[in-house]
Amino acid sequence: MTRRAGITSFVGQRWSVLFFLVELVFFSAVARGFFTLNGVQIVLFYSTTLALLATAETLVIVTGGIDLSVGFVMGFASVISAKLSGRFAEMGLAPELALLLAILITLAIGLLPGFVNGLLVARLKVPPFLATFAVQGITYGTSLLITQGSAAINVPNLANVIGNGYFIYLVPGQGVSLFTRPQVAPGTPVIDIIPTMVVVTVLFVAVAAYLLKRTRFGQHTYAIGGNIDAAMRAGINTNRHLVAIYVISSFLATLSGIIYMMEYVTGKSDAGSSFMLDSVVAVVIGGASLFGGTGTVWRTILGVLILSVLEMGLKIMGVQTFDKYIAVGIILIFAVLIDQFFPELVRKED
Amino acid sequence: MGDKALVTNNGRARTPAMSLLARNWAFFFLVLTLVVFSFTGKNFFAINNFQNIVHLGTTALLLACAETFVIITGGIDLSVGYVLGLSAVSASSAMQVLYAAHWSVAACILVGIGVGLVSSLACGLAAGILVSRYRVPPFIATLGTQGIAIGVTYHICGGFPVWYLPPGLTEIGNAYVLYIHPASGAWSFFSRPAGIAASQIKELVRVIPVSFILIFVFLIVLWHLLKNTRFGQHTYAIGGSMDAAVRAGINTRRHLIFVYVLSAFLAGLAGIVDLFQTGTGNFTTFGAQLELFAIAAVIIGGASLMGGKGRVLASVVGVILLKVLENGLNLSGVEPFYRYIAVGLILIVAVVIDQLFPDLF
Repeated sequence: MTRRAGITSFVGQRWSVLFFLVELVFFSAVARGFFTLNGVQIVLFYSTTLALLATAETLVIVTGGIDLSVGFVMGFASVISAKLSGRFAEMGLAPELALLLAILITLAIGLLPGFVNGLLVARLKVPPFLATFAVQGITYGTSLLITQGSAAINVPNLANVIGNGYFIYLVPGQGVSLFTRPQVAPGTPVIDIIPTMVVVTVLFVAVAAYLLKRTRFGQHTYAIGGNIDAAMRAGINTNRHLVAIYVISSFLATLSGIIYMMEYVTGKSDAGSSFMLDSVVAVVIGGASLFGGTGTVWRTILGVLILSVLEMGLKIMGVQTFDKYIAVGIILIFAVLIDQFFPELVRKED
Repeated sequence: MGDKALVTNNGRARTPAMSLLARNWAFFFLVLTLVVFSFTGKNFFAINNFQNIVHLGTTALLLACAETFVIITGGIDLSVGYVLGLSAVSASSAMQVLYAAHWSVAACILVGIGVGLVSSLACGLAAGILVSRYRVPPFIATLGTQGIAIGVTYHICGGFPVWYLPPGLTEIGNAYVLYIHPASGAWSFFSRPAGIAASQIKELVRVIPVSFILIFVFLIVLWHLLKNTRFGQHTYAIGGSMDAAVRAGINTRRHLIFVYVLSAFLAGLAGIVDLFQTGTGNFTTFGAQLELFAIAAVIIGGASLMGGKGRVLASVVGVILLKVLENGLNLSGVEPFYRYIAVGLILIVAVVIDQLFPDLF
């Protein structure tokens, strides 16, 4: 292999990493306040909901499917958890209990759309695009009915405290406090490190990444995406596996909705309406093929970071936000073109 | 295995009536909804209401036709909803600028329509080249052009609807072919009879919106194009098997570009129609999901996302079914939110029927 081919191959395989670095350097130089502790944390905080949705989408896309319902399942979950926690608090439950109960019930209800998706796709052989589109409509309609078209408020303030809290509070010269803001004299500087919701997100994303990469469940997922007939003949219970995949996807979307509710202290039916396509975009930028069989969670997260750095960077620069869509459109096409021109280079690692 | 099992397993053993029912279930379902809503909906069963349903469904019909062609080739066009917005906004902006520069109204409108259509053709050309020449999956290519269309649209209009347009747009867009004033017996074509004051407009019987003429002409042309021409045959061939189509000597690249350009053109036309109906250049809001509803209508009409299947008139039935549901539920006093649930459920029924009786389509 010539030296030049070596460089092309190097760039071709890692273009998304390189692109991300270029983005970071560019915005650090141009956008004031971007490359600071706060700036970085804001980007991470903003990425949490999309990261969970994109992780969900990765699992589904690896099987060769697509889940259009994640965005509205997220909105559905935010609405249900907001309504329930508000109602429980009104009934006189302690805010901790109200919130916990609401979250648990929401997580349980949130499995339902995924179960329906899975049954339709696996049992009735409905194309995933249609099955999840139909379920999206049903979840959206249901959450609109619950909220009567407006936002669900009345969430206990505890959600705000946790959702906008930080993992570590550092008081220079005095000590460290975990999760709770230390009581200090007014005027004492407190450094906030890592939003709590980022910690939660990273935990769940890591579990999903482990599941996909290191377990038999993950192997079967790739096998189904590679060739479902072969997977079936190899003795994989593809029906049950696909149902499980769509249920996990729905679970992660529900979690994303709960995190949205904690971060923004509201439930909105259309909270995730623009995230549905963004999540697919992130997966594709991460190098996965919509035909299935390829894709990893960490590369998807890189795609998510590329998108949110772009959005936040442009926002800080004061560029009109709709330029984001042009940029995303171009990146998306660019991602696939690289895929087309260097097919043997991009897929090597998967 | 008894005879019964044989009969149920063999599609050809079914009665012709059942086959007809399954093949055109959307149509029969439409008839059923019409009957039900006639009883439950206030003023549902009225000429005026039916005219309104189709008149307000013009853009959806155009988008569904666009999507029909693309889906038959085995592709998908996610950009149509935002190409509609781009076309409406660029056409209206051109009209606004020219009108402010004291051009004549007719010139403003004609140039504006041209600008809108050209902007949409550009989107279709880009998507077509990406799909055919560079083999970008249609889902991604049209998602990319969708993003670019959104960005350009907002650049043009700044996030606000475009106003200060030449007069007469809505008068053209919402005109009827025939106006009759039963009390005085006066009647006229295309505008209200002379001598009838604006305050008497409610007494007028208005027959056939002009949008019917447009949609009728386009449906006939597209139906003919798909059903009776070589272009249509090639479209089905590409969707049936791309490789076979290439080997049969079809210039698949050029054909795919044509299909995406046609799709964008129809979306652009829908934008122009929207402009004439509302009198403002509206951008497409996020979460409008026009493209997803168009795709849903096409699938309800019996097309398959795998390609090779689909009919223009069946897609039309799909659109009308969705619109009638919306209208009928509304007039029956059902909360509008149920519409999303109803559409979702119907879609599931559609695809399950498609899966259970594949031999019938």
